[in-house]
Amino acid sequence: MTKQEQVKAIFIEEAGEIIEKLDIDIIRFEENSSDFNLLNEIFRGVHTLKGNANAFGFTRLGEFVHYFEDVLDYYRSTKEDIEEHNLELFVESVDVIKEVMTCELDAIDTLPKSYSECLEKIKTLVSIKKSKDISLDKQNDVSELIDLASEFGFSEEPENILLKSIKAHQAIQDDGLNLYKIDLTLDVDCYKRGFDHLLFIKNLAEEAKSIESFFNMQNVETLDTFKSDTNYIKNVEIVVLTPLSYENIEEFFEFLSEDEYSIESIKPVVVKEDEPLVVNNKSIGASDDTLSTSTITQKSTIRIDTLKLDELFDSVGELVIAQNFIAQNEKIRSVEDESIGRTIDTLSKITKIIQDRVMSLRMVAIKDTFEKMKRVVRDTSKKTGKEVHLVVQGEETEIDKTMIDSLSDPLIHIIRNAIDHGLEANADERIKAGKSREGKITLKAFHKSGSIVISVSDDGRGINKERVLSKAIERGIVSGDENFTDSQIFALIMQPGFSTAETISDLSGRGVGLDVVKTSIEKLRGKIEIDSKEGEGTTFSMVLPLTLAIIDGMLVHAAGEIYIIPTLSVVESFRPEKEIVHMAKGKSEFVSLRGQNIPIIRLSDVFTLETQRIEPWEGILVCVETEIGRIAIMVDSLIGRQQVVIKTLGKSLTKLKEVSGGAILGNGEIALILNVDELRPLIEVPHG
Amino acid sequence: MEFNGDALMIDTDMSMEEIIKFEEFIRPRIDFIETIEVEEGCALKSSALLSILVSLKKTRPKLQIPFLEKGLSIAPAYGTIHWIYHD
Repeated sequence: MTKQEQVKAIFIEEAGEIIEKLDIDIIRFEENSSDFNLLNEIFRGVHTLKGNANAFGFTRLGEFVHYFEDVLDYYRSTKEDIEEHNLELFVESVDVIKEVMTCELDAIDTLPKSYSECLEKIKTLVSIKKSKDISLDKQNDVSELIDLASEFGFSEEPENILLKSIKAHQAIQDDGLNLYKIDLTLDVDCYKRGFDHLLFIKNLAEEAKSIESFFNMQNVETLDTFKSDTNYIKNVEIVVLTPLSYENIEEFFEFLSEDEYSIESIKPVVVKEDEPLVVNNKSIGASDDTLSTSTITQKSTIRIDTLKLDELFDSVGELVIAQNFIAQNEKIRSVEDESIGRTIDTLSKITKIIQDRVMSLRMVAIKDTFEKMKRVVRDTSKKTGKEVHLVVQGEETEIDKTMIDSLSDPLIHIIRNAIDHGLEANADERIKAGKSREGKITLKAFHKSGSIVISVSDDGRGINKERVLSKAIERGIVSGDENFTDSQIFALIMQPGFSTAETISDLSGRGVGLDVVKTSIEKLRGKIEIDSKEGEGTTFSMVLPLTLAIIDGMLVHAAGEIYIIPTLSVVESFRPEKEIVHMAKGKSEFVSLRGQNIPIIRLSDVFTLETQRIEPWEGILVCVETEIGRIAIMVDSLIGRQQVVIKTLGKSLTKLKEVSGGAILGNGEIALILNVDELRPLIEVPHG
Repeated sequence: MEFNGDALMIDTDMSMEEIIKFEEFIRPRIDFIETIEVEEGCALKSSALLSILVSLKKTRPKLQIPFLEKGLSIAPAYGTIHWIYHD
């Protein structure tokens, strides 16, 4: 990748992040349109996007965001109430920005129809607001306007656009970037000397993150006295954000006389010591009426490729294994030396600290994902015509970054499904059922037994079990002979091809969604649980591991080997009484537990291992929940619960579908991680 | 540079020589031109073009120059350029 391509890749990543944030912020702003700090935040995002877009030649995006920025700027500076239809226009504009960005990235010539329509609306709004503003200002505060404008030599704008530009650039000034205001006052003969204002701007732009310039053309004469090769431009003010030093900037103008230019270094905005610069809406823009001259104190962050983080995580995994190896090594343990024992303890503690810190690098709050869901709720609510109130809880819960990326689509689908099918068809139906007009969707994240649960609940109709079961029988998904528990019946709606929706909407109801959701969650080594009460509502809970790199497992001894069963699937473990163990067709064993017949799986049978066969009541049964219901894995003994670093298996072992990975234990031994969903009894046993 | 009805079409990337020729061309014809359309396919090459457009507008305020009236130009090579020409 060339340097240019690398820079472009960074821009695309940054732009994606900005647009994603805009999408969230605009919905938050729609909810509370008097939050002008948030409007400032949105404005800054749009401004950065404009600079970046123009720098990379995405002029169509640049033009759109330019006008959008104007509108935002009007409202943030006047603090005028925003009309509802204009709020709608803001949301629409963010949609257009997303679409245009895609067109720019894929070099698609034809822009969506919404581009020109929305741009036209924005332009009209800008012109209406500006004309109104100018006339009001002329009536009310002419002197103030003149003072402000005269400071920079402009008289058209009520608020000086140069000052605004400087403030906006200050707001996006990252570490390592310097902000300068350059005043070019080229002599009348500059063209004859081979200089041109645009030549300097072009050179600066090549080294700038963002550049904006302001030509004061007031001195240009009428054609009677005008000569093209004479410079009438009074001055050009350039605001440039660049990594270049003051000395580097001076070099651009070394051939000009000293009175033809001046460079002013603008210091970054002041941030109080204990306040973060970004993140909090209140930190910037709340009182930024004057340009600051003090030094900046801000949280320092760097951008790291997640691949590097993964490599670091792998290395720490190896470190943990090596440390366990030392701690559990019999030879080392047999040395009777207190200092060695203490050193090993210290090493163990430090390794744990490093492991936790590296783990935390991958963890991000689920807040942003939840924020995005507000938009989904809003749009689905509008499309379905249902009034919906969204309640969000536990948004500070942290989750592995890799999982966050894969979680959006399943969440979107479940939320749409909850609104479209979960909630009653209309407010009348809800009132008849004794509920409020407005449907409630609750989005919740929390920790539970070493896992993370993300749930979506609605207070709608609930799932009709009989209807689900009869539909499943009709579709041939189940035979009808089975005796299912409630949760097993609810789980049927996630089977491929299942749909009870009477009408197919563009939101959900095709019966192809929930099974995809289930697969996506299972890929993350998680599972979905459904709980529903007819007439009261439904909850979809996605139970996910804390991280994809480490698994919380139960270590067991079976047939002379050590296996790991994911704790997430384990329901209980017990030594059965002889009386509750039965044989089916002389081949398959099962255990009767609380009225349920649970098939017993012997790992020696699964992996064809030669071992001394013991009876189930001589061993331990670990009861686990699988796709096909509960199974009891027979083991010789339980070793304990442990977090292990997952290692992928070689090609030859990947075919072994009963195993999902391996882990190196402290003593150097390798243990296989069981894929419990693929463990099948020799003969299916009726659960009832 | 070409005429399209009463509108004169010009390019943004005119060099100083071309701007001087444009000036010579338009001086005797300014009263007959209703609109000057600027093709924005390329970036501005010289600030002198902006100056002459402003001069034409000041000379004959009825003349329509949509490019000038926009008050800004966005181009990858220069970033965002604003201009203000009212007295």
